[in-house]
Amino acid sequence: MFKNFNIWFASSLIVSIGVLIPIITVSLSFFEDTSNYYQILKDTFLLEYIFNSLILLVSVLILTFLIGTTCAYLVSFYRFPFSNFFKWALILSFAVPPYIYAYSLTAFFENYGTAFTILTNLFGEGSYNKHIPKFDGVFGSILSMSFSLYAYVYILSRASFLYQSQNLIDLGKSLGFSKFKALYSLIIPAARPAIVAGLSLVAMETLAEFGAVDFFSINTLTTGIYNSWISFDDLAFSNRLSFFLLLFIFALFIIENFSRKKAKYHFNSRGGFKQKEKIQLSGKNSFFAFLFCFLIFFLSFLFPLSQMLYWTIKFPENLFDLDVVTLTLNTLYLVTLSSFVLIVFSLVSNYGNRVSKNKTLNLLSTLSISGYAIPGVILAVAFITFIAWFDENIVKALGFLSIKKIFIGTVLGLVLVYFVRFYSLAFNGIKSGYEKINISVDESAYLLGYSKQKTFTNIHVPFLRNSLLFVGILVSLEIVRELPITLILRPFNFETFATTAYISASEDLLEAAAVPSLFLILMATIFIMFTSKYILREK
Amino acid sequence: MSTNFLEVKNVDFKIGGKTKVKNVSFSIENKGETICLLGPSGIGKTTILRTIAGLEKIEKGSIKLNGKLLSSNEKNVEPEDRNVSLAFQENSLFPHYTVEKNILLGAEKNKGRKKNKLSFKEIIKLLDISKILKKFPHEISAGEAQRASLARSLLTQPDLLLLDEPLSNVDQSFKEEIQVRLKKILNKLKITTIIVTHDSYEAFYLGSKCGIILKQKLRQFDDPYKVYHFPNSIEVVNFLNRGILIPAKVTSQTTLENDDLGLIEGRFIKNYPIGANVQLLLQPEDLEHDDNSNLKLEVVDRKFRGTNFIYTLKTLSEKLIPVLVNTHHHEIHEIHDKFGIKRPIRLEHIVCF
Repeated sequence: MFKNFNIWFASSLIVSIGVLIPIITVSLSFFEDTSNYYQILKDTFLLEYIFNSLILLVSVLILTFLIGTTCAYLVSFYRFPFSNFFKWALILSFAVPPYIYAYSLTAFFENYGTAFTILTNLFGEGSYNKHIPKFDGVFGSILSMSFSLYAYVYILSRASFLYQSQNLIDLGKSLGFSKFKALYSLIIPAARPAIVAGLSLVAMETLAEFGAVDFFSINTLTTGIYNSWISFDDLAFSNRLSFFLLLFIFALFIIENFSRKKAKYHFNSRGGFKQKEKIQLSGKNSFFAFLFCFLIFFLSFLFPLSQMLYWTIKFPENLFDLDVVTLTLNTLYLVTLSSFVLIVFSLVSNYGNRVSKNKTLNLLSTLSISGYAIPGVILAVAFITFIAWFDENIVKALGFLSIKKIFIGTVLGLVLVYFVRFYSLAFNGIKSGYEKINISVDESAYLLGYSKQKTFTNIHVPFLRNSLLFVGILVSLEIVRELPITLILRPFNFETFATTAYISASEDLLEAAAVPSLFLILMATIFIMFTSKYILREK
Repeated sequence: MSTNFLEVKNVDFKIGGKTKVKNVSFSIENKGETICLLGPSGIGKTTILRTIAGLEKIEKGSIKLNGKLLSSNEKNVEPEDRNVSLAFQENSLFPHYTVEKNILLGAEKNKGRKKNKLSFKEIIKLLDISKILKKFPHEISAGEAQRASLARSLLTQPDLLLLDEPLSNVDQSFKEEIQVRLKKILNKLKITTIIVTHDSYEAFYLGSKCGIILKQKLRQFDDPYKVYHFPNSIEVVNFLNRGILIPAKVTSQTTLENDDLGLIEGRFIKNYPIGANVQLLLQPEDLEHDDNSNLKLEVVDRKFRGTNFIYTLKTLSEKLIPVLVNTHHHEIHEIHDKFGIKRPIRLEHIVCF
């Protein structure tokens, strides 16, 4: 294993093991003793947790599949008014995390909410509250998550549709298939691996979602983990619940990886590929295509944005009360620091894997990127568990001062857990850049007299700069939206837009949550605009 | 003490823990000489080049260049510290630099050490890549990338140049011309070179010696004429695929007899006892066409090769024999025609197994 040991190998190994620590901690804690809370919960709410999690999962998967693939199909195969705009606009839903969508839904449909105000302004006083539907509870959570997460399915299925050759469509025509039959018997099956991959990401995010379900007071495994730790101070039980959730997520993770591998077979080779010609829609077909995409764009992005904007304008005092500068600086501080650390280590780790060609290291790296599949709540709890154990059994045993204060409730701790959570994004982003550099390029550099370090700095880093920028922005986008890790591990009095919005919302001050939510959406939108050309690239 | 410029001694060539070629020994006697390694795809030719370049390590044997030990079980000089250049078969140009910058990096390595016998411009002109200098690697064809990579390697003025299928992606129409130019450049620069190829004509033209690698072994290492005319094993005959083996009986020190062709005269390159049953190598140019001959065989196939035809004839015992005939011979034979073979059959040299 250590035959090719060098500084690159060592760095890569350390990063991979470091990222694996929370997973190991959760797994080991499964066997520890728990408080009575476990027994109480087992007899009462545990089934409800599991049932709610499953209901959310299945419903969100169905909705995101329908929305994501339909949008992708329309913009990939047809030309209609604003189709090019929708191609891009439909990914803006990423800027609205499910919890902010949940605030918007509630704000709009609650008694005497925005819908009530609109109806009153339009038709005068009336008992509209009786007729306005209430989107809360499980249904509200499903809608919030679906409209926020469908973009995963949209992006991946669109990419797959783009790679489908005109030959496939022509084949359908020659077999006498109608457009609908061609869609369900040729186009969707050919894109199946990409759609499954997108749905797996949705599934992981749904199971990990904390903000929206907590806001709607839905008991799921994720809120259970949070509550068992916060309310009952039972870390061990929290870990035990996490372990169940992890098993579930790993199953999804394996399915996702499996389908991704298979996806390769569905892409046509360059030789047989014939560029698809988009069909120009006209008449009612064109109108319905436009209407569908517009509705999804409106519901997923414009609706929460305008709701937050409306409240910000209606209650301007909230804007003045909010320390926007400090929140922006705090958010940017976390974003910059975390992105920098993630990029540097992922880059080193990727290069370490490349030069050491070690199978064990490769396996470790594959495992270590599973952090993205683990809910933020679990990671935060596992981190605290690990630090507590390490402090108690190693640091204090050696006679040193406690290290808890260095890692828990500090920016350092926060950045470390972000690192674990988003390491796969950074690692895979850089890896896909690296895959474009043939290994013989490195060898040519060596033969030209370049050392490994010079090859890294003079050949790889300049070539990868676009990938690095993309990864940096993608990680920033995730960190801006991230809630549970920040909430649990942030230093005292250190707030971001996400935590400020959450705290106001949890105190039933939805109007006050609007301003930070609005800033969060705007900041995330800027990041999306920067990354859109990479996400939507067609070549 | 060894005086060879390059000496590969008893080396097992491995890649990814798998032995590709075993117990290989060969040498290049003089500086500036070019040798070629021939063999089917995947046999380990590239592994040999990679190992000599220092990209793979060895556990057995030794590789010495100019008297200096490069590789052995105990020692492995890093690739960047050997003045050995390898031009890869696939595109190995740095993707973020233009072709020109890529090639100039080769000259940079050599800066202040030796004066190039051929300038950048001359090499560019000889390899006909002046039009692509400002382009990026992804904008050029595979053949152009190969030539650019070759130019970069040449400009480094290495002690040893290793070329892995250097012309495999070059258009057939342009290939021969580039071969001529490459030979000219190598002669002028006096760079010791090992070329790996699966094209035997390319190897016979470019190399002063050819090594044939088959079934994990270096089967023959000799000058091209000898490799072609005096293959040392049935495996080499089959690999070169330029002749067939027919059964014959040695009848004297200068003759042997085949049931279909009758008496065959010539000079044996190896002695066999009279009466011995052997396999005689018959190459397309060995038999002469003569329609007046009473030895007639049936034509089963005819390949047009521009300057000549290769007829495949069937003997009474169902053996298929290739016969080469000049394109301008007076009568073209069709399939199923009878084709006369001049008698007595006289061979320049008799190769048997």
